[in-house]
Amino acid sequence: MARSSSKDAQDLFRALWSAYAATPTNLKIIDLYVIFAVFTAAIQVVYMALVGSFPFNSFLSGVLSCVGTAVLAVCLRIQVNKENKEFKDLAPERAFADFVLCNLVLHLVIMNFLG
Amino acid sequence: MSKLIFVFLALIPLLCTSFSPDRPSDRRVLVLVDDFAVKSSHSLFFNSLKSRGFDLHFHLADDPKIALQRYGQYLYDALILFSPTIERFGGSVDAAAILDFVDSGHDLIVAADSNASDLIREIATECGVDFDEDPAAMVVDHSGYAVSATEGDHTLIASDDFIKSDVILGSKKIEAPVLFHGIGHSLNPTNSLVLKALSASPSAFSANPKSKLTSPPSLTGSSISLVSVIQARNNARILISGSLSMFSNRFFRSGVQKAGSPTKHEKSGNEQFFTELSKWVFHERGHLKAVNVQHHKVGEANEPSIYRINDNLEYSVEVYEWSGTSWEPYVADDVQVQFYMMSPYVLKTLSTDGKGRYFTSFKVPDVYGVFQFKVEYEKLGYTSLSLSKQIPVRPFRHNEYERFIPAAYPYYGAAFSMMAGFFIFTVVHLYHKCVTFLNPAFGGFLWAMF
Repeated sequence: MARSSSKDAQDLFRALWSAYAATPTNLKIIDLYVIFAVFTAAIQVVYMALVGSFPFNSFLSGVLSCVGTAVLAVCLRIQVNKENKEFKDLAPERAFADFVLCNLVLHLVIMNFLG
Repeated sequence: MSKLIFVFLALIPLLCTSFSPDRPSDRRVLVLVDDFAVKSSHSLFFNSLKSRGFDLHFHLADDPKIALQRYGQYLYDALILFSPTIERFGGSVDAAAILDFVDSGHDLIVAADSNASDLIREIATECGVDFDEDPAAMVVDHSGYAVSATEGDHTLIASDDFIKSDVILGSKKIEAPVLFHGIGHSLNPTNSLVLKALSASPSAFSANPKSKLTSPPSLTGSSISLVSVIQARNNARILISGSLSMFSNRFFRSGVQKAGSPTKHEKSGNEQFFTELSKWVFHERGHLKAVNVQHHKVGEANEPSIYRINDNLEYSVEVYEWSGTSWEPYVADDVQVQFYMMSPYVLKTLSTDGKGRYFTSFKVPDVYGVFQFKVEYEKLGYTSLSLSKQIPVRPFRHNEYERFIPAAYPYYGAAFSMMAGFFIFTVVHLYHKCVTFLNPAFGGFLWAMF
């Protein structure tokens, strides 16, 4: 078995990136949105580790709003993906309407729990 | 007859004022004797009681007319049994009646002697004191006996092993040993209320002095109690002595020299010992009352009906001791208050101003529920104080919290940025096809937004 080197890793990432470049733009936008949400959640966890968990409900709602957003965005991504045959009968407009409704419910709950 | 009725009517106000909680000292004392000779042979003890205002009623123990109560009312506040040999009391009095008398908060002095009757032994046993079962047994001490010219069997003991309590024996130290001639007893180990007021020396034992000792004596050493006191849970006080002659004028006046001790005391310690002990038994000392319990928030004067968690509060109570004639401030540094809900959440020692007022302040714990202020004060020789006052504690109302907590601003920011992000994402997701998204400027715009 050949030894792996940093060149192999570079090749791997380049191959991944070129494969990802073929992804439709709307899915790329969703990916960007998911990364944003996960990154915000990570910042809050680090902040909580630094200052302590005192307003714990605020921490939970802050983090869960990010996590919930990311989860809903991933669900949307699965449903609007043309390659995914499982949801081929589901119109992307319907999927987006579900996404909006779920987000409204999520943020209503978050607002109630934040204070 | 009419004269008698007049006397009785004159006595009514006197009878009504006896033993009230405001004046806890006993007033009317029934003395039961085997023989009226005791009245004169023990007159020093009785006179000291009379001079302190007690009203002594002497009766023969088998007098058929004696009664402790009439129409459900006790006729006496205290009972002195100087009748060690009585087998059966006259009238309606029996062991159960005497124990009921104690159970209703009255005081009792029992003096036994060698040849004490089963009745006296039964009363003592019920009080947690077991006399030596051998009827001929006496306490013998071959090293702690009182030196005397006549008696050679060492049953006249000089003991100075007193209970260490100023409230029971008075603050003045008893210098001379106490003379004892009688039967020893042991304390029932399961009874936590009975105390040895005077114990025998380690070299003492209980046996028949006239016969040869064939088997080891059942009671030996300082486990033998000569005089015991009991304070029941209802604060009734009982004195049990193994010797009637201890109270006699002869012992009160006798000089005493303990064997092996060079000092000869002109007067035995008996008189001081029993005077002080009878003051304690008849509630002239060591009787506490607590009044005027107050609590309020710091900075306020009125007592609230409910506290909030983390309130600061002040608690105060006044404690007085009965001195025989008046209520004097009680001064101690060990009175504690508990803030109690199933277990004490706060236990604080109260400070005192020396005038009877005890106070402290503390913070209500961060727990809500129904609490009690409790003062449970049980100190050797003092009547027990048990106060409890219920008070609920509520959590913060929802408008008593901080509206915005600075430490939580990042969380607020995250939640709102998620909403903003959702809005922008919606716009971008719906309209990105209209925009020339291949334009690198648009990509830069997106990055700048996220």
